[in-house]
Amino acid sequence: MKRTLLTIAVLAFGIGSAVAAEGIPFRKVADMLYQVMSADREVYTRMVVQRLTVDKKVITASEHFEDDSALPLPAQMFRFGAERVMDQTEDFSYALLSLNPINKKNGPGTDLERKGLRYVLENEGENFYGEEELGGERYFAAVYPDYAVVEACINCHNGHKDSPRRDLKVGDVMGGVVIRIPME
Amino acid sequence: MSPKIVPWAVVAATLAGAAWFAAAMTVGGDRSALLIGETTDAHHQIELACETCHAAPAFASAAKAEKALNRACRKCHDKELKAADDSHPRRKFRNPRMAVYWEKLDARLCTTCHVEHRPEIVRASAVTVAMDFCVACHSEGDQDVRAERPSHAGLAFDTCASAGCHNYHDNRALYEEFLVRHAGEPWLADAPAHELSARQRVRKRPARAALARGDAVAPRAALADPAWLDRWADSGHAAAGVNCGACHAPKAGKNATRETVEASWIEAPGTAVCEDCHRPQARTFVLGRHGMRRHPRVAKPRDPLRQLRKIGLSEFVPETVALWLADPAPPTTMTVAEARIPMRSDAAHGTLDCGTCHTPHAVDVRHAAAEACASCHDDPHTRAYFASPHHALWRAELAGEAPPGTGVSCATCHMPKTERRGRIATDHNQNDNLRPNEKMIRPVCLDCHGLGFSLNALADGALVERNFTGTPAVRVESIGWATRRAQATKREAGG
Repeated sequence: MKRTLLTIAVLAFGIGSAVAAEGIPFRKVADMLYQVMSADREVYTRMVVQRLTVDKKVITASEHFEDDSALPLPAQMFRFGAERVMDQTEDFSYALLSLNPINKKNGPGTDLERKGLRYVLENEGENFYGEEELGGERYFAAVYPDYAVVEACINCHNGHKDSPRRDLKVGDVMGGVVIRIPME
Repeated sequence: MSPKIVPWAVVAATLAGAAWFAAAMTVGGDRSALLIGETTDAHHQIELACETCHAAPAFASAAKAEKALNRACRKCHDKELKAADDSHPRRKFRNPRMAVYWEKLDARLCTTCHVEHRPEIVRASAVTVAMDFCVACHSEGDQDVRAERPSHAGLAFDTCASAGCHNYHDNRALYEEFLVRHAGEPWLADAPAHELSARQRVRKRPARAALARGDAVAPRAALADPAWLDRWADSGHAAAGVNCGACHAPKAGKNATRETVEASWIEAPGTAVCEDCHRPQARTFVLGRHGMRRHPRVAKPRDPLRQLRKIGLSEFVPETVALWLADPAPPTTMTVAEARIPMRSDAAHGTLDCGTCHTPHAVDVRHAAAEACASCHDDPHTRAYFASPHHALWRAELAGEAPPGTGVSCATCHMPKTERRGRIATDHNQNDNLRPNEKMIRPVCLDCHGLGFSLNALADGALVERNFTGTPAVRVESIGWATRRAQATKREAGG
């Protein structure tokens, strides 16, 4: 138990592949990374954005949060974390993507992403795992469903001028989290 | 010369040349002959401080050298890119899902678009790729901007970043929602004024601190010239309680007497004394082209003894030879003659430090804000300023005929005021908002003008050259496109 906790603590600090190198399967490492990301994402969405923007209405959340003195959107918080990781390591990477993205750059960019996003949308509660080669390097890739957990998610997605889908309900799969770990 | 000597002379000359080359590369000495091509206007002042950019050890692999080169770019430019809310940060492209773009335009490396020593391919803003670079990532599939935006359907990719609509890095004044929010603004605000300038100019100084002519504490010889004394008494320094010793005898401390001041008197203090009190100004001065030779990240001249120790030759090279190999110490300040833009010939020998613009005893920021610039700069934009509407406003403010903050000097636009933790300071990096010129919109133009007028004016090169005397002949369509798209979306949503 102690070892498991230590492993998760280490993962939380972003040293994923080191653990993988010690023998934990890539799939397990990706699952654990996802648990941390997913928990942080849901906590921010529920306890900060939903509570302050929808329930208490004391502040807004905005894509242009600097100019609007507002909260960053949950998807932006997730992206900032992913980019911060890219500043520090190449041991793993992740992104929040969708088949119906508000920002086109968050649409699927590889065959695996397209397949994985389709899979998690059509197979409730299941994840997608695979391998792909990018930039001459082989990656283990996992795609996890990303749900609209609260009203704030669907308010924004259904109302945004660039949103290709405006019929989302709480509990729907909006997209997926894609995690990659280099295999060599 | 005997024919037999010729081969030996060639060998000797080759060896001597190789020795000089190796010494210049790895030990020290003048290496201007090694420059492989002219550097851009952005770096020409520091082009002989090679290690500033070429930070990899000698004989490092090409990949390591490139990494080190790009790390050096980031060390100097990361803060300004962060402040610009960089639209294409490197970290975004390091994710392997972006690998498909790495071969088209590798945005992980600054050197993909900004190559040095290649003057023949340098374009505006030191860009060294073709100006249609946006095509690499925004022209295919889901990312095809022409499909996503019907207004962009017939546009050529070399106009994205050159027509006043987009920039690669800084789009703070150009993003869609910002355009919509500022649509329909009049060309001139009802009460145009630069708020921070206005607040700074009317700020109250503590009355007790002000010093008068008779309060000057300095050696008798220094007080002999009444003209200097008068200038000091009328200066901002005297008004702020800064006595002679503060600059000429800083070691004498706050409670200096004539004796202690005389004992540590410095006839011509260096800029270090200015920097002691004017830290925000000093910090930003070294970021611009006026002061970048003093930037802390610019490599210092090489120490040949140290260099020889590094390569294990210090015991074999006599110290006198090593010292002969010392780098020629580059001046820490630019001379006007070294500038690459039109300058006055009578200012050619002037150097650039605090005293160049701020005459030491007559500390008059009004002079520094305009006349000081024109005492060196001699381009059409500068010459046109003195007959421009902006200058007329500046004259009116100086004459007390217009409210504080309504005048527009060179510094108003090129050295805007910034506020941090309640303190207003003048940005002394006069290059910070210069290129692309849309960077000037938010900190400067919008204080007085509407966004549409500002975009049009800055996109009109001839108008910029006339220092904004006249009206824009160019129309940037972005606000119209953005508002029409916003209205269409609203209609679709039934709003």
